[in-house]
Amino acid sequence: MVTGPGNMGLSSTTSYKVVIPFYIYAALSFFVACILLVISIPGFTTNYFQPNTLAITHTMALGWGTMIILGASHQLVPVMIENKLYSNFLAWCSFIFAAIGIPLLIYGFLVFNMGWPAQWGAHFIVSAIIVYCINLAISMAKSKHENVHAFFVLTATLWLLATTIIGLLLVYNFTKPFLSENSITYLPMHAHIGIVGWFLLLVMGVGSRLIPMFLISKYHHTKKLWWIYVCINAGLIIFIADFIYLQISWLYLLTYALIVMAILLFANFCYHAYKERIRKKVDEPMKVSLLSVIMMLLPLLFLCIIIILLLSQSTENIALIISYGFIIFFGWITAIILGMTFKTLPFIVWNKVYHHLAGKQKTPNPKDLFNITLFKWMAIFYILGFIIFLLGVFMNQYFILQTGAVFLLVTSILYNLNVFKLLTHKPTKE
Amino acid sequence: MNVVTNNTEQCQQALNALLEVIDPEIGLNVVDLGLIYQVDFDDQEKKIFCTMTLTTQFCPMGDSITQAAEEVLHSTFPNYHIALELSFNPPWNAQMISPEGREFLNER
Repeated sequence: MVTGPGNMGLSSTTSYKVVIPFYIYAALSFFVACILLVISIPGFTTNYFQPNTLAITHTMALGWGTMIILGASHQLVPVMIENKLYSNFLAWCSFIFAAIGIPLLIYGFLVFNMGWPAQWGAHFIVSAIIVYCINLAISMAKSKHENVHAFFVLTATLWLLATTIIGLLLVYNFTKPFLSENSITYLPMHAHIGIVGWFLLLVMGVGSRLIPMFLISKYHHTKKLWWIYVCINAGLIIFIADFIYLQISWLYLLTYALIVMAILLFANFCYHAYKERIRKKVDEPMKVSLLSVIMMLLPLLFLCIIIILLLSQSTENIALIISYGFIIFFGWITAIILGMTFKTLPFIVWNKVYHHLAGKQKTPNPKDLFNITLFKWMAIFYILGFIIFLLGVFMNQYFILQTGAVFLLVTSILYNLNVFKLLTHKPTKE
Repeated sequence: MNVVTNNTEQCQQALNALLEVIDPEIGLNVVDLGLIYQVDFDDQEKKIFCTMTLTTQFCPMGDSITQAAEEVLHSTFPNYHIALELSFNPPWNAQMISPEGREFLNER
C-alpha cells in the first residue's frame, strides 16, 4: 500500500492539453513567416514600412514569439512563482482568442486593409492578453513566495498588454484618425515596448531562472537581477515619456545606455552561471539558447549606429533599420525559441506519455524523444540562413536574400518536423 | 550521503533501490542528487516514512519522480506501507549533490 505525497506533482502542473496547442501554433507560424519572407524579397530593401514586412513582423512577434512564450509560460510560471496556475480554462481562452486574432490581423496587413479583419484581429489579441494577465496575476496573488523572476514576468506581461492596446489604437487610427500624428509615427514606440518591455524583460526573467537550473549552477545573484529590472523599466519609461512629450534627442541615448547596461548585466549573470555550473557538458538546445544571449548584443550595435546617424545626419539608413528588425525577430528571438523548445517540450511530452510508467519500467530520457541529428541540421541551416540574409540586406542582392530566406524556410521545416515527431511520440514497449 | 534514518541497514537497502529512480532531466539518480532527506522504518506497524524533496518546487517532473520512488520502495519492501512526504525545508541546492553525483555530471 502506498500513501502519496499529496498534490505537489503532476496535479499541480499545468495540463499538457493547454500548453501543446501554443507550441503547434507557434511552429506553424514560424513556417508561415518564412514562406512570407521568401515571397516578399522583391522590394524588401526599398522600404521597411510595407504590407508584407508588417505581416512578417507580426507573424514572428505574435504567432511565433508570443504564442510559444505564452504556452511555455503556462508551464513554467508555476515553477517560478512556486504556485499552481490559477486556471487552465483561462489559458485555453487566451489561446483561442490569440489563435483567431493573429491571422485576422496578419491578413489585414497583407492586403493592407485596416478595416474589420485587422480591427477584429487586434480586439481578439488584446482580449487574449487581458485573459493571460488575469490568470497570471491571480496565480501570483495566491502564491506565498515572492521572487524577482515573478516580477519580471508580470511586468513584461503588462508591457505586452500596453503594446497590444497601442497596436489596436494604431489600427483604428489608420481608418479614422484620432491621434495627433499618423499611425506610422507611433510605430517605433509600439515596436520597442514589445521588444524591450515584453520580449527582453520576459526572456531575462525566465532565462535567469532556467539557465542556472538547466546548467545546475551554484550561481545566484538576486541583486544583479533587480538592477537589470530597474534599468530596463526605467529605460523604457524614459523612452516613452521622451517619445510622447519631451522630444529631447539626447534622452534616447540615456534610454540606450540603460538597456545596454541591463543586457551586459544579464550577459554577465549568464557567464557566471555558466562558469559555476556543476553539469559540465552543455547539450545542443542549451548551446543554441546561450548563443541567443550573445545575439542580444547585435541589435544593440545596429541601434547604436541608427541613433548616431539619426542624431548626426537626420537620415534613416533603410538597410540598417531592416537588419535591426531582422536580427531581433529572426536572430535573437528565434534562437531562443529554437533552443528552448527542445528543453521544454520533451518534458511536456514525456509527462504525457510516460508519467504512468515512472518506476514501473525503464523509460527513455526526455532528450531522447526528439531527433538530435535533425536538430543539428536545423541549427546549421538557421545560422547560415541568418548570416546570408543579413549579408543580402546590406549588399541589396536579390539572389543572396532569396538564398538566405530559403535556408530559413528549410530551418522552419526541420523545426516543424522535429516538433511533430516529438508530439506524435508513442511509448516504447519494454 | 546525509540521509537521516532510524535503521541503517534497511535504509541502505532502500537507498540502493532508490538508485533506480532517475531525474529525467538531469539523468542522475535521486539519491546522489541529494533529494532523499530521511528514511525511517516502523517494523511494528510495517511502515516506511520517506521524506524527499525536488530540485524545484512545482517541478513539472515532480509527480513522476515521487511516483517512481514509491514504486521502487514498494517493490523492495512489499509488506510495508510507504508514506512518502515532500519537504522543501531546507530547499534543495546544488551543494546537496554527492561526490559520486558530481563526478557523473562532470563526465556528461
